Amino acid sequence: MSTQRNSPPAFPRWLVSKFISDNFLEEFFGDLQEIYADRIEARGKRYAVLMYWVDSIHLLIGFSSSRIFKTSHTMMLSNMFKIAWRNAFRQKQFTFLNVLGLTIGIATCFIIGVFVHNEMTYDTFHTKGDRIYRINQPMIWGNWEDQFASTGPNVAIALQEDAPEFEQVTRLLSLGEQIVNASGNNREFNLITEDQCYAADPNFFEVFSFDFIEGNSVTALQAPNTMVVTKETAQRYFGEKDPIGKTLDIKQNDNTWISYTITGVLDNVPAQSHIQFDMLVSMSSFKKDLDTGDWKWIWTAFSTYGLVKEGTDIQALAHRIQSIPPKWAAATTERIFNQAFEEYTRGKPWTLYLQPLRSIYLSDFPDNHRFGPTGNPQIVKIFSAIGFLVLLLCSINFMNLSTARSSTRAKEVGIRKVMGSQRGAIVRQFVFESVLFILVGTISGLLLAQLLLPSFNIIAMKQLSLIPYLTNSLFIACLFLFVLTLGTLAGSYPAWYLSAFQPIETLKGKMSAGLKGKGIRNGLVVFQFTISITLIICAFFVQKQLSYTSSLDLGFDKDNILQIYNIEQFDIDTEVLKTKLASIPAVTQVGKSYGLPPNFWDGDRYRPDGPSSDAIYVSNVRADEDYLNLLELKFVAGHNFNKASGADKHGVILNESAVKALGWGTPDTYASNSPIGKTVIQAFAPEASLVVIGVVKDFNFHSTKLNIEPLMIIHPDNDLFWYYGFGSSYLSMRLNPGTVKNNSDLKRVIGDVKATLAGIDESVPFKYSFMDEEFEKTFQTESRMSIILNIFTGMALIIACLGLFGLAVFSAEQRTKELGIRKVLGAKVSQLVLLFSAEFTKLIILSILIASPIAYWLVDVWLQDFAYRTSIDWWVFVVATASALTIAIATIGYQALTAAHKNPTETLRDA
Amino acid sequence: MKNKGLGEFEELVLLAVCILNGEAYGISVKEEVEKHTGRSILLGAVHITLYRLQDKGLLKSKMGGNTEKRGDRRKRLFKITEIGMRQLRASQEVKQEMWKLIPQLKFSVS
Repeated sequence: MSTQRNSPPAFPRWLVSKFISDNFLEEFFGDLQEIYADRIEARGKRYAVLMYWVDSIHLLIGFSSSRIFKTSHTMMLSNMFKIAWRNAFRQKQFTFLNVLGLTIGIATCFIIGVFVHNEMTYDTFHTKGDRIYRINQPMIWGNWEDQFASTGPNVAIALQEDAPEFEQVTRLLSLGEQIVNASGNNREFNLITEDQCYAADPNFFEVFSFDFIEGNSVTALQAPNTMVVTKETAQRYFGEKDPIGKTLDIKQNDNTWISYTITGVLDNVPAQSHIQFDMLVSMSSFKKDLDTGDWKWIWTAFSTYGLVKEGTDIQALAHRIQSIPPKWAAATTERIFNQAFEEYTRGKPWTLYLQPLRSIYLSDFPDNHRFGPTGNPQIVKIFSAIGFLVLLLCSINFMNLSTARSSTRAKEVGIRKVMGSQRGAIVRQFVFESVLFILVGTISGLLLAQLLLPSFNIIAMKQLSLIPYLTNSLFIACLFLFVLTLGTLAGSYPAWYLSAFQPIETLKGKMSAGLKGKGIRNGLVVFQFTISITLIICAFFVQKQLSYTSSLDLGFDKDNILQIYNIEQFDIDTEVLKTKLASIPAVTQVGKSYGLPPNFWDGDRYRPDGPSSDAIYVSNVRADEDYLNLLELKFVAGHNFNKASGADKHGVILNESAVKALGWGTPDTYASNSPIGKTVIQAFAPEASLVVIGVVKDFNFHSTKLNIEPLMIIHPDNDLFWYYGFGSSYLSMRLNPGTVKNNSDLKRVIGDVKATLAGIDESVPFKYSFMDEEFEKTFQTESRMSIILNIFTGMALIIACLGLFGLAVFSAEQRTKELGIRKVLGAKVSQLVLLFSAEFTKLIILSILIASPIAYWLVDVWLQDFAYRTSIDWWVFVVATASALTIAIATIGYQALTAAHKNPTETLRDA
Repeated sequence: MKNKGLGEFEELVLLAVCILNGEAYGISVKEEVEKHTGRSILLGAVHITLYRLQDKGLLKSKMGGNTEKRGDRRKRLFKITEIGMRQLRASQEVKQEMWKLIPQLKFSVS
């Protein structure tokens, strides 16, 4: 075991053995291994591996001129190296273009590779990770076909009791935002709002591997009112003092405070974890809520994770646990919905799904993971494809340029052959040169990637680093393999091709190699530009779709709305608060709501009054008449809540979609069959009837990524709901754009609002937002990814242009005499430029013709996922391809001009 | 051998070999030099120097002393030769001669 772990990397050893003569290997390897073992003990494995590499390479370089080196190798190598160097130096421009193209391509590929690898290795740090599964269930509040990432609290209990395959089952409950204060501090002034706060079962740390700095992982979360915090959180409250045994107070809904004792400090949560928390409180603190038994299966707020025993047959287990819900959930459905289990599910299976922990982050289902960062598998796929394409582009570029370049070396090959060189030696020379190029390109690509990574991290909001990869010998070995493979591939074509020449022919100058390889080269150029142009068109459409969705008409005016949070914490009549705020000059309207678009996430099941009607899921939000006025919603039928009429508070307002979903028709049927006055019944206790008093035009209360769903607006004073009196509430203010003209005006208004609220209760944290910004945030990931996509597209285009430029230079060299003769015979410069550019322009136009349909198809497929799609307009194709064509013509234009302007007497003089 | 002088690092390595007295091989020499100079030295540099000195005839070597830690491989143990010792002394004497010729030395010592 220990020898296995401590055996040094094999690849550098192999490399050394290739070059150092065998008599000396024993002592070197002995020394290397001895010092390797010392270093592992002193500084860890990573350092030891790195130094093993350094020492091995140092040995190779240091002894390269010594007799210990295998001499035949040295001589050959130094000669090959000399020739490669001379050739590279003679054609500086080609060398530069070649290495630059490789550098950009490989750097892009590295960055993408690191990004993709990072996305794919989330949650891999848990030592038992391969045995952990999250339990998902159907979305019982809406579409039963959808998976839901959380369950009721008793699913965990049922699994532990009925499925012995589980070693542990643990639950995590997101507590949302909590207002926290360190005990003993002055409560008024030292409040911190924590938004990564969870309740966890005591066995949480037996399932997940989060490292304890202090405290006991087994007992830390056993007692009620205990908590475990991360290092960073502890520092936030206590600085460098030992937090163990100290207490933090958390504010409750009823404005009282509960103290929690800190029993453990954890190392900060790794970035690559889908569970991100600052503090965990013991689940037993919520014993009272958990014991009021009625809703144990429908309080679907718990993320349940199971650790299965080693060697468990997951398929069989997944099959077996399906008998649990009918057995356990029946009590709940009977008590809450007054329905038998089968009646409640209507025959739909209440499936318990087992989702492997490591697949959670990058999985595209369930839609909502409830908490933590979620990856986007589509982006990972797209980026991987781009990374691969860019690598392909730069390899093609390299091959293309090497082939073009090598034909100028026909004479060299001829001479070598005459001097008695074997064909193998010539092939080896070419392959060696090409490997050398790729090696240089790879190393400078790595450097460039390292240089660009900080900027990439800012855009992508990641903390990626190349260093762990560079010290991984597997990665280094892959890198070498890549260099050798690509070098051999790219070098082999010109190598075989040129080494097959008859020396007599080449020396006589009958070489038309430049023309011979042309078909292939042109094909490769077309291929490159097809990829680049496809990427450009796609990037254009991504941009277009983004600006389209973010500027969509939401159905209400989202600008100039200031939203204030934590209103429920004020012990004062909201109407008084509203009047006070309305007296601020810039404020035109103030409304109260229990949710803010785009985040109306509440909802419940309702059914229309009548026989045998199905219950449907309807989003609901509690909001007062002023809020609806403030949003400037349009009423299609009926009216808004009426302040004067007390009866209205039990009425509800629906949107068109809800009316339609309840089976009451569309706006054009309202005249004959008005939904006003119809009754909706709660499909949950107390099953109260709600009369529809108004219908509003559909408006977008979620992100424009989603379709408009059925919505019910309930008056805040409606006491027919069990949650009457609970929940976070908000005050929204419409600001007068005439009064609030610039940022300092805005700051003053915010200051006024803050002062007004502080005058009422200083202990309530002041938090505000603007509605338009909240809507913009829903597209944050998309805009970031679109920026990155644009950058990569740019990289691909640069590489393609480098290749084109190189070929133009080559072609200009080849055709100097032809152009000279044409000029002598009377051709104008403009004609020559046209003639010269036409050759390449044709290729680009061919690429455009191939790329457009491919891009059309890709964009079409991509747009399918969106609720609102931008149109695929032909002008976008024109603009995108025209810009590509312009860039390409600009690339070759310079060469065309210089070639056409050359003085024919000079170009034709030396025969 | 045209150039009879010793490089600074060569001299350090030679001295280390003398100190180690028969136990001198790559790693022990590296550690010895590091211990006295306080610099961090690459193993490869020591190896290269040891071999160069052997080529110059200042060192001789034999194989031996295999341990399990080394994967049961033998070490190359270096020893100083007559010529090596003479060179080291010569180098020392040259320096001492030159030190004596510095005029300020008398003042700074007192």
